[in-house]
Amino acid sequence: MSNKYVEMGMRSPVNLTWEVSLGCNLRCSHCLSSSGKPAKNEMTTEEALNLVEQLHQAKVFQINFGGGEPFMRPDFEQILAACHSRGIMTCISSNGTLLDAARVARLANANRLVAIQVSMDGACRETCDAIRGEGVFDAAIEAVKLLAATHIPTSINTVLTSQNASEIPAMHAMAKSLGVSLRVSRFRPSGRGAENWGSLRPTPAQLLAFSEWLASSGDVRTGDSFFSLTTQERQGLGLNLCGAAKLTCCVGPTGNMYPCAFLQTERFKAGSLREQSFQEIWDSSDIYASFRSLRIHSCEECQRFDQCHGGCPAVAWHLKNDINGGDPECLERCVTSIADAV
Amino acid sequence: MTKSKLKSLPSTASAGFTKMSAAGVIKTRLHPACRVRQEGFGLLFYDSRGPRLLFAATGTLLPENYFETAHASDELPAGLSDSQKLTLKKFVKQLLDKGFLREQ
Repeated sequence: MSNKYVEMGMRSPVNLTWEVSLGCNLRCSHCLSSSGKPAKNEMTTEEALNLVEQLHQAKVFQINFGGGEPFMRPDFEQILAACHSRGIMTCISSNGTLLDAARVARLANANRLVAIQVSMDGACRETCDAIRGEGVFDAAIEAVKLLAATHIPTSINTVLTSQNASEIPAMHAMAKSLGVSLRVSRFRPSGRGAENWGSLRPTPAQLLAFSEWLASSGDVRTGDSFFSLTTQERQGLGLNLCGAAKLTCCVGPTGNMYPCAFLQTERFKAGSLREQSFQEIWDSSDIYASFRSLRIHSCEECQRFDQCHGGCPAVAWHLKNDINGGDPECLERCVTSIADAV
Repeated sequence: MTKSKLKSLPSTASAGFTKMSAAGVIKTRLHPACRVRQEGFGLLFYDSRGPRLLFAATGTLLPENYFETAHASDELPAGLSDSQKLTLKKFVKQLLDKGFLREQ
């Protein structure tokens, strides 16, 4: 791994998450940002386009658009076009319900600089719609079919919860049958995810079973350090340390910057793009500096430390109010938890 | 992520380029799915198809825009020592093998 280069400090993020709007036509029970109505005072088109230019100047390689539902913003395709005209790669996380044939055709003309993740949360209608809302499974499948017929790299993105853990292999098969890939994300207790943590949180046994399955499913993607212990390929796909403020960061709908999408609170606000430039915030934010120097000493004796370096600070914060305490949901603790219960 | 074994070498990148390639020689350039930028340690490559990263400790031997145009393997910045040239040629081959570059 190349952690030493990362820890030397990067001139800008490799990629960043940009939550362009809190507006969403769905009310998913695990939503990390409690999306629904747009936030007050979201970035204007002019501000958004200015940010794109700043990211271009900073040589950010890729922007991962999320929200909310990005396509709820009437100017979203204009923002995308501004990225693509500058050679910036983009990945859109969408619920799929606003992806009709005309929009997909326009996206397919984006010089191969766009990838799309369609969110789904179960291999069957009942499981998915229980989390995302009635009719969403069918709409998402239609969107995936439209995308799969183009050259756009497409994946089904699912959040591992207690409700769908047993369906992940079936989702993998479903994705394959549709000609797309599967990406599995961790469920984190932020936004509505915090409100529904108790009912949706995977059990330690489910997490361990998923980890084992993942180790034998080399084409399934995760972006989480949590799972990077599995195969060599998986380590190559992800990070073995938290990348927040080192390789990535988050821009919120009103132009505030944070270490990651799961820490969009005042406590972790690194700065406002309405007051400082992107580069100034990246270079000089005290919050970012604190993440760059973060060392999870309590995990250093763990046999898996080299694989995760303490895991996800966001989960540690949301569950223990302490980013220095290590990831409370890590696999080692799952093993301990199960052993204690026996 | 992967890390190039290339060692940090003193910078000579400010000198111009030599033009030594012969007609018919295969030239390579950055793959359209890849990007590269200068960092303190050298060049950082990004491949959106993985995604994956490659950290190359090239220092300032090669400017970040070097791979935006096609070069033969012997088209290197002027002023390099023979050992630096050899190292960079191996590095370029490594980039080609890993898919960060493609033949023109």
